[in-house]
Amino acid sequence: MKPAAFQYHQPTSVTEATDLLAEYEHDAELMAGNQSLGIVMANRLATPEHIVDINGLDDLDYVDVSTERVEIGALTSHRTIETSTALADALPMFPAAAEQIAGPSVRNLGTIGGSIGEADPAGNYPTVLTALDGDLHVASTDGERTVAASEYFIAYMFTDLAEDELITGVSVDREPFPIDRTGMAFLEQKPAAQTWPTISAAAAVRVDDPDADAPAVDEARLALANAADVPLRVEDAEAAVEGESFAETTLASAAEAASEAAEPGEEMHADAAYKEKLAGEYTRRSLETAYERAVDTTDTTGITDTTTP
Amino acid sequence: MMEFDGEFTSDHPRDELWNYFTDPAILADCAPGCDEITMESPGELSATITVGVGSVKPTFDVDMTVTRADAPEILEMEVGGDASRNSFEAVTEMRLIEDDDGTTATWEARTNVAGLIASMGQRALGSVAARIVNNFFEDLEAKADEGVPAESQLEAKPEAEATLEN
Repeated sequence: MKPAAFQYHQPTSVTEATDLLAEYEHDAELMAGNQSLGIVMANRLATPEHIVDINGLDDLDYVDVSTERVEIGALTSHRTIETSTALADALPMFPAAAEQIAGPSVRNLGTIGGSIGEADPAGNYPTVLTALDGDLHVASTDGERTVAASEYFIAYMFTDLAEDELITGVSVDREPFPIDRTGMAFLEQKPAAQTWPTISAAAAVRVDDPDADAPAVDEARLALANAADVPLRVEDAEAAVEGESFAETTLASAAEAASEAAEPGEEMHADAAYKEKLAGEYTRRSLETAYERAVDTTDTTGITDTTTP
Repeated sequence: MMEFDGEFTSDHPRDELWNYFTDPAILADCAPGCDEITMESPGELSATITVGVGSVKPTFDVDMTVTRADAPEILEMEVGGDASRNSFEAVTEMRLIEDDDGTTATWEARTNVAGLIASMGQRALGSVAARIVNNFFEDLEAKADEGVPAESQLEAKPEAEATLEN
């Protein structure tokens, strides 16, 4: 099908874009990389009267890594995030999540702001931001505000974003994740390579001393995608491994906590019981991988094994 | 048929809350996505409400009939809404129970949903509906906290009964 008729706007600045949103409110829909909205519109599930295409807002396409924080502009493509060596060094969970999104053509056009704006509970960046306690930066004609990822995802595809607001970027503080003793992982279970995941797990593990015989976990972060109606942070799983040296028993408690916390919806290829089991299994695998990367001092990037000789 | 339910606790006595729940101007202010509410009669309201799940957000013309109004305890309404390629009908019931700390409002809704919104499924709709209703209660509680004046104007439409067609 073809989409219903709409009026097309191409602002060239954030101010111009937020003016349009203020004018048309819920008759308008923002279009970033257009990897999701176009499909929804072609099927006439959404029939907005006005499209505000923000692809011209080049100012929002950036990856900025400083010693304190990582900032990523809303219009940064999955491909840019996937290939950013600065991100691979600082917060490797971002490129690890980006490289598993759909296929190359989607990654070339799709953007981080679009993914967060859509807020699909199976989405990768929403889960990464939830795991890393990230912030979203939002603009409207009333000015700018910052909202924590933990406050932003409210219900299924339902967010704290108002009709007249535009996401300008995201940021994550680096302080909890020193690269010399932190490891990260983003693992997905997918029925097919280029589709949405059945479950994903985002894990970060910081150890006290990577050179010790059995380094203990200082802090752990664990969030699951597609295990509930919003990205699911599992603090009980984090608590199960924190303060401990890694062992099968602590991993098993973390996995059990994740299975219990999960409230998955049933899907065509995965019933709820299976997804609960996957939530546990991917929690176990992602925490284990993150821990191995945290203690592997030869690989300070903490990124995938294939990048180290 | 889809069923939704939930509860909300308020610091205010139910006599006071009742006025807020039955004042159309307060309802129009608090109902998320509600552009306007018109009181056709003490037992009938019409409204325009936009409900969104992601980018799917039809604007419904909604008719509400008060089928039971036992002040300050039970408010029951029959609600029907039509939008482009979407429609719904619902029977909603709210009970206010007072205790030492304030009031507990329990609500349930039995609905038939048709069209595109129906394809989102019970889980997606339930997740969003629960959130919208909570927002509504929170906004209403805030009005009561601020002491915004409210006047009870709704009563049951004579001989109206709540039914849900299948």
